[in-house]
Amino acid sequence: MIDLLQYEFMRRALIAAVLVGLITPVIGTYLVQRRLALLGDGIGHVALTGVALGLLTGTSPLLTAAVVSMFGAILIEVVRVRTRTSGDVALALLFYGGIAGGVLLIGLTPGASNATLTGFLFGSVSTVSEEDLWIVALLALGVAAVVAVFGRELFVLCQDEEVARAHGLPVRFLSVLLAVTAALTVVIAMRVVGLLMVSALMIVPVVAAQQLTRSFRVTMSLAVVIGLLSSLGGLSTAFYVDLAPGATIVLLALAVFVVAVGVGGALRRASGHRAASTRPPVVTTAAGTMPESDPGRVSR
Amino acid sequence: MTIIFVFVIMGTVYAQIRDESVPPAFQALDARVSYDGVPVLDGVSVAIPAGETVAVLGPNGSGKSTLMRAMLGIMPLASGEIRVHGTPLSRFRDWRRIGYVPQRLTAGGAVPATVREIVASGQVAARRRLSLPTRADRAAVDEALATVGLTDLARASVRELSGGQQQRVLIARALAGRPDTFVMDEPMAGVDHENQRALARTITRLRDRGSTVVLVLHELGPLEDVIERSVVLESGRIVHDGAPPAPTGECARPGHEHQHPHPDPNDPDPRAAEPPSPADLMRLEVPGRD
Repeated sequence: MIDLLQYEFMRRALIAAVLVGLITPVIGTYLVQRRLALLGDGIGHVALTGVALGLLTGTSPLLTAAVVSMFGAILIEVVRVRTRTSGDVALALLFYGGIAGGVLLIGLTPGASNATLTGFLFGSVSTVSEEDLWIVALLALGVAAVVAVFGRELFVLCQDEEVARAHGLPVRFLSVLLAVTAALTVVIAMRVVGLLMVSALMIVPVVAAQQLTRSFRVTMSLAVVIGLLSSLGGLSTAFYVDLAPGATIVLLALAVFVVAVGVGGALRRASGHRAASTRPPVVTTAAGTMPESDPGRVSR
Repeated sequence: MTIIFVFVIMGTVYAQIRDESVPPAFQALDARVSYDGVPVLDGVSVAIPAGETVAVLGPNGSGKSTLMRAMLGIMPLASGEIRVHGTPLSRFRDWRRIGYVPQRLTAGGAVPATVREIVASGQVAARRRLSLPTRADRAAVDEALATVGLTDLARASVRELSGGQQQRVLIARALAGRPDTFVMDEPMAGVDHENQRALARTITRLRDRGSTVVLVLHELGPLEDVIERSVVLESGRIVHDGAPPAPTGECARPGHEHQHPHPDPNDPDPRAAEPPSPADLMRLEVPGRD
């Protein structure tokens, strides 16, 4: 681990990996909850247009990607609400538009080709500059602030949009806020795992965590731990074995998922056996207003 | 002088009894809602005074759920007006007074959540952003869980519960914000017979506390004694408003326990438990439950 830190580029890469591992699963938890697991993918494709725009105009691709993907995120929400298209169709439309826009713009850029995009599509964490790192850190701070301030409302929104409305919550604002936050997260993770695999880091740690948990808060915390382990583990493995870092990170997260499925299944079977042998046949409650009537047990 | 004083006192008492000073909890004025040009609510005007327990009845597609959803702003009006506690819906801000129980088969989202987490989320309108739960907040959650008898399952994952238990989670969520105005969309759906009666007791208690309770129901069932007024809709119009309609035919038979089973794959058919008393009747364990 020490020799890893000897290199300036590796120090920057590790910091970026920590930020990505921390932030992506948090937003991913809300997206999975809202059944919009592919939102990150849709935004990732749109971000490609932003990257190409940055290269074409000579500004930081990270900044242009952030701006364009935020517009894309707002567009997805508008398309979803206004045209009564289902979420996945709205996403599909953006997938194609984003990729086509990116390829078109990169073709117009002198001295750049589709190969230039490869670094953004599949990640190039070792080329993270100091400026990139500052942008990533700032975006991560913004995402964390949104979750801290609006987390409770986002939970209700993602749980049940109709209930959120009946609570008087600003449903449209919160939907756009979540989409924009997801867009910023995509840009944060873009340099580390690449636009095509960004969504994996948002979703896979969450899906792995929920094999083992029963509460929302614990799921989110465990997802962050899994995200951190995958991004740091994947990056250092890639450094020593000379593998593609983005792909290594994602495959590591998927491996954790497979293990979690196995462990979760075993735990449930074990607790099922225990419950069957020790649980009293009737669940009596202290309050007694809705007692002793759970159907499907021997209740008399 | 004394006489005037007595009149003033009487007037005050009278106003309080009649609740004339208090605006209705909900008021619909010629409310119209349509889906794709097809009217679902066709000019409904109704006022629900604060403190009343009202059932909104009607066949499927009569617009009863739509009326409730329009009253909460979930469904936009094509024309007409909704007032909530005297304020036009668009300017209504006192959402902590409203407790809504949606019609759902499950209470959970795609990510696991504990019963307590879901119930506590019912306080979202009553709490400030960035605030930690106070002792009073936690006590309200405890009380809501106790009211529906889920205290022991507070730490369980919602998705592990039966349909009837999940319905109770949704009711507890509405209770947790300590609102005084409840809207419940078919709270009896998927709830077995005994829990329906327990729910009726809960609603009785809410009524005694002075809460307004609006229930969308298929039929009154065990709530018959709690309901003060029935509004019956048919094809988007009110066809009856007043005392609950008298049961007719088979339902009028003395001792008839009317219930409309909403099949829940996890619960045994409630009709199977119908002959209510025989103590020797044993309900068998359904494999794979819990």
